[in-house]
Amino acid sequence: MEKKVIKKDALAGIVKKLAGQMPVYAPVQDQDNVLFKILEQGMEPMLDFGNTRNAPKNCFFPQAETMLKYFRTERGRELAGVVEGAPEAVLFGVRPCDARSFILLDYVFDDPKYKDTYYMERRRKTAIVTLACVHPPSTTCFCTSVGGHPMSSEGADIVLADLGDRYLAESLTDKGAAILKKFGDLANADDAALAKKKELSEKSEKEIKSIIPGNDIKPWLDANFDNPFWDTIHKSCLACGTCTYLCPTCHCFDITDEVKRDGGRRIRSWDSCMSWLFTQETSGHNPRTSQKERWRQRLLHKFRYFVDNYHAIACVGCGRCVQYCPVNIDIRKIVTDISKL
Amino acid sequence: MHTNPYVPIPVEVAKIITEVTTKDIKTFRFAFINKEDEENFNYLPGQFAELSIFGKGESPIGIASSPTQKGYLEFTVQRAGTVTSELHSMEEGTLMGVRGPLGNTWPIEYLKGKNIVVVGGGFAFTTLRSLINYMIHDDNRSQFGNITVVYGAREPGLLIYKDELALWEKRTDLALNVTVDKGDADWKGREGFVPAVCKDVAPSSENAVAVICGPPIMIRFTLPVFFDLGFSKDNIYTSLEMRMKCGIGKCGRCNVGHKYVCKDGPVFSLAELDKLTKEY
Ligand SMILES: Cc1cc2nc3c(=O)[nH]c(=O)nc-3n(C[C@H](O)[C@H](O)[C@H](O)COP(=O)(O)OP(=O)(O)OC[C@H]3O[C@@H](n4cnc5c(N)ncnc54)[C@H](O)[C@@H]3O)c2cc1C
Ligand code: SF4
Ligand code: SF4
Ligand code: FES
Repeated sequence: MEKKVIKKDALAGIVKKLAGQMPVYAPVQDQDNVLFKILEQGMEPMLDFGNTRNAPKNCFFPQAETMLKYFRTERGRELAGVVEGAPEAVLFGVRPCDARSFILLDYVFDDPKYKDTYYMERRRKTAIVTLACVHPPSTTCFCTSVGGHPMSSEGADIVLADLGDRYLAESLTDKGAAILKKFGDLANADDAALAKKKELSEKSEKEIKSIIPGNDIKPWLDANFDNPFWDTIHKSCLACGTCTYLCPTCHCFDITDEVKRDGGRRIRSWDSCMSWLFTQETSGHNPRTSQKERWRQRLLHKFRYFVDNYHAIACVGCGRCVQYCPVNIDIRKIVTDISKL
Repeated sequence: MHTNPYVPIPVEVAKIITEVTTKDIKTFRFAFINKEDEENFNYLPGQFAELSIFGKGESPIGIASSPTQKGYLEFTVQRAGTVTSELHSMEEGTLMGVRGPLGNTWPIEYLKGKNIVVVGGGFAFTTLRSLINYMIHDDNRSQFGNITVVYGAREPGLLIYKDELALWEKRTDLALNVTVDKGDADWKGREGFVPAVCKDVAPSSENAVAVICGPPIMIRFTLPVFFDLGFSKDNIYTSLEMRMKCGIGKCGRCNVGHKYVCKDGPVFSLAELDKLTKEY
């Protein structure tokens, strides 16, 4: 595929221009946070940021979305319409860990038997532009321990690397090549640019100081569902759900109906396994009675069940749950502690 | 047909049967609005569907009719919360939706050529009724060996499908054992708990498979009876229940270990369950 270079000060303008032609989701400053949002007319993306507070999964799997609408008739309530269809779009400035998360979400939403129409339409029509991490943005990054790399192009249609004075832009798919054309007339990358990227890549990997034995704990997890260790991790958990909402790979959702006078809509919204309601049955029975079972579920889903089903850990090492947990529960420490048992 | 798995198929409530004296269990017969949907709704006993009422929500309910009964679907529903209460307040002729068929089936191919023991307790008899009607249908009966049924309820007024039980009673190709925990003045049949009746009936484990559904307490006491009779864990099947929403393995709600009850279940053999975490 194509390899081009972009002048350092030209990139923001190119993306701004692109946003005039199609929806472009990109990191923008929003009060104290950097968030993925659709670029409004004339807005430029942020290029100098660590990582966004919210994961880019919002773009394909929004926090809340209308699935279908219904209306009241004399004979009951009938379907008024299904909310489907998505425009071609670009998701710009995705960190490599988050780009990988889409490959993991695809396993769930693009299952051979059941395709999730809502996710899939946006996913298919959106090109992902990864902004490689020439320096790991945070001390909580641990992508290399769970199968990722700070300069990885996995999951990307285009990958950009900041070489200092210019960006190297590589398209990896047809979708990426088509978008790269829209970037305008760009010079071909020379050997020096490719060599520089390689050098930065090796350096960046070494700068990741947070290393956990992510791949080593599966046998212990397989054998120790009832281990007393599970009594030790959840005690301070508030069940606030922050870890699951901010996680790029968490995909659990609820379906609820909104009622207006003459009709209404069916909505899907994020849900969290950290809530007791998640598994509560009408009879009063709940298979996960305390926060202990819920924390165990969260960890086992990521490091055992997902591995059983799809041969991949459902954590990309972005560190958001570590950074934003209000009581400082640290999944890295839990995994490390387990590896010592 | 919609390729979007979240869009319900439109159906009409064609018939409502109140099954029990307490009136909180009813069987709903649905007719398809579109012929095309009817033709595409291919299911086997053991599967379930999401009953969908716009404005109220959806509930996963086992399909109680058999695919050999053409032109309609039946579900037997206990009034519990929002969706099931709305359903219970409906009248014939109302329009609503069905999403399915969902989940796996009783292991029909595996059951062929074997003697089948069906054990049900309470209103969890629904997909077992589907299985029995499927097996005794003229087109299918010769493919199965002896069929023994043990079905129990707390009291005579709580037995469901009474007309059908009377028809089955008359058949010579099916051994029906209906029991109640405690009879009343009019009750002429068996009295006793399901596990005790199973012990008494003592079906042979020779080339046999047991299919068991009921309240957890019934299952707990029935399994040892079948182990004693020589049934291996590979030859005992049951159906699990977990809270559900999507029904297609995406919303993450109904997992038992790495299996999603909605997509990989609800039917599991005891041997399969032994390999999963005990969290249901
Ligand atoms: C595979 C399967 C087959 C079932 N078959 C039958 C049947 O044949 N007859 C019958 O009466 N009941 C059956 N149930 C149980 C039935 O689904 C619940 O009683 C029902 O969902 C309660 O919904 P509600 O809206 O009335 O209650 P609410 O308390 O208002 O429930 C809200 C929602 O939570 C979910 N939910 C709550 N409890 C359960 C539960 N136990 N299982 C699954 N989802 C739940 C549903 O999405 C429900 O709409 C079955 C459950 C499963 C999983
Ligand atoms: S579990 Fe935590 S570190 Fe891993 S992907 Fe989710 S939010 Fe990021
Ligand atoms: S963010 Fe922390 S406190 Fe909140 S649910 Fe997750 S682990 Fe518990
Ligand atoms: S009900 Fe959604 S995953 Fe099973």
